[in-house]
Amino acid sequence: MAEGEEKGRLQRRLLSLAVAVGCVAPVAVLILLSIATRWPAGQAWPAELTGERWGELFSGRGALLESLVLSITLSLAVATVSTAAGYLTSKAIAFSPHRHRLLLLAYIPFAFSPVILGTCLLFLYLRLDLAGTAGGVALAQTMFSYGFAVIFFIGFWTPQKQAYEELVYTLGGSTWTAYRRALLPLSRGLLAVGFFQAFLISWFQYGLTLLVGGGRVKTLPLKVFDYVREANPYYAALASCLLVLPPLVLVLLNRRAAPSFGVSR
Amino acid sequence: MTPLLEVHGLSKAFGGESVLQDISLRLEGAETLAVVGRSGCGKTTLLKILAGLESADAGSVTLAGEALDPLPPQRRGVLYLYQEALLFPHLDVTANLAFGLEVRGRSKGEIRPRVEQMLEELGLSEHAHKAPHQLSGGQRQRVAFGRALLVEPKLLLLDEPFGALDTDTRARMQQLFRQVAEQRQLPALFVTHDLKEAIKMGHRVGHLEKGRFRVFDSLQQLVHDPRLGVKEEMDFWIRLERQAEAPSAVPPEEPPETPSEASPGVQAPEPQTPELQAPELQTSQGKAPSASSLDSSAPTTPAKASS
Repeated sequence: MAEGEEKGRLQRRLLSLAVAVGCVAPVAVLILLSIATRWPAGQAWPAELTGERWGELFSGRGALLESLVLSITLSLAVATVSTAAGYLTSKAIAFSPHRHRLLLLAYIPFAFSPVILGTCLLFLYLRLDLAGTAGGVALAQTMFSYGFAVIFFIGFWTPQKQAYEELVYTLGGSTWTAYRRALLPLSRGLLAVGFFQAFLISWFQYGLTLLVGGGRVKTLPLKVFDYVREANPYYAALASCLLVLPPLVLVLLNRRAAPSFGVSR
Repeated sequence: MTPLLEVHGLSKAFGGESVLQDISLRLEGAETLAVVGRSGCGKTTLLKILAGLESADAGSVTLAGEALDPLPPQRRGVLYLYQEALLFPHLDVTANLAFGLEVRGRSKGEIRPRVEQMLEELGLSEHAHKAPHQLSGGQRQRVAFGRALLVEPKLLLLDEPFGALDTDTRARMQQLFRQVAEQRQLPALFVTHDLKEAIKMGHRVGHLEKGRFRVFDSLQQLVHDPRLGVKEEMDFWIRLERQAEAPSAVPPEEPPETPSEASPGVQAPEPQTPELQAPELQTSQGKAPSASSLDSSAPTTPAKASS
């Protein structure tokens, strides 16, 4: 009995270790590659290591910092707009008598692939002088993440939430009070996750950005592919590290935010 | 005398389906009017219109001489209590109680003593800093009740407020409500699908069915109204009692319909419950005529709407 339990515990530990290695190893390899100067084929470890590329990045000498700033700005803007708009739109849809029909519209961006939708939109964007601009890319990405946010938040708006809102009104509160004191605190955790997801949709977007941006809006995913095409694995690794780090930071923040959802006095 | 609440000719339809038809009622001062009706009969819609959370298609509502129709819910002085306590999960008991006063911009110096007093009145002082999920259903409902009382509403609307509570807690909450309403002279509309609860809680009882509303002038009218099925229910239990005294006899016939079908929520009376125990029927107004006297010669047509 005790021997069986011990064996089970060992198996669980091994499994946990395997999962941890599986998650950490690719990032570790990327970091290692980003600081390697030579990594000859067949060798398990780079021949030489250097911090020069990272130094170059933060000194702003290369174009990578510009791409990083652009990607962060674009994704934060897209996530903020689509989370806020999706939250409010989903409320309007949830309590509308035409709920099912309206919700169907939110699924439309997902019925097409991003590239097909981008191709369709390109003509319109060219006419509006939005093609090849960061604004055009942000607008195109927002279409996707907004649709996602509407679908994501729709489940939050139950009759119970409506009752909370109405309760605030009969207690004497305004619409703003209802949001600030009741609805937003009730949906805080969900809003954080929704924002995070919307951020990721924009952050990793490649096809749509390439099409609408016409290759001129160099976000990080585009930069990674540029370096890969140039057969520059060290810079591609550095750009990939930058691509992976912000989502990791957000995951950690999300994990910290969840337990702090406590009771106020 | 001007009635406290006067509802005249209220109508409401959803998508062509009429929910309320020409509803009229009056509330004279600090009384509780219990409204009984089946699920989906329009009880909640009626309360929501009075609270300003739903608009009426026709009709008017006056509270203490003031027309409510143009006023938003915030300015009506009407408080709506739901079946669920709806305590804010991110606030503790004290903050939940203080909520209404805070949103009305009252000062902390005013709020604190009033909340402390309310905690004491409701027997919740030891739970002051607990989160809602740490309270029992009855305690949660008491906090919701306290939160409503603190804003001193002119009219309280209760939408099956004790429906989710177990029998004992429900009885305690009913007692608490009666006590507080009496002490504070609080006018209220108490909606329930349980006729027994309606009789216990209301100074008067009204019946809402298919969008039409009637207030019974007396308990005799209520008992003899065939749609409520009270008479059949009582007959059943009286026959059962007689059978129990003569054990060899066959069981009594079932009432024509089961309680839930015959009447909105007439639950099988519990012989040990004093309120419905024959021969005397106790209501919040006092003792009602005995079951045997109700059985004899009461008018069968309920009064139209207001009394």
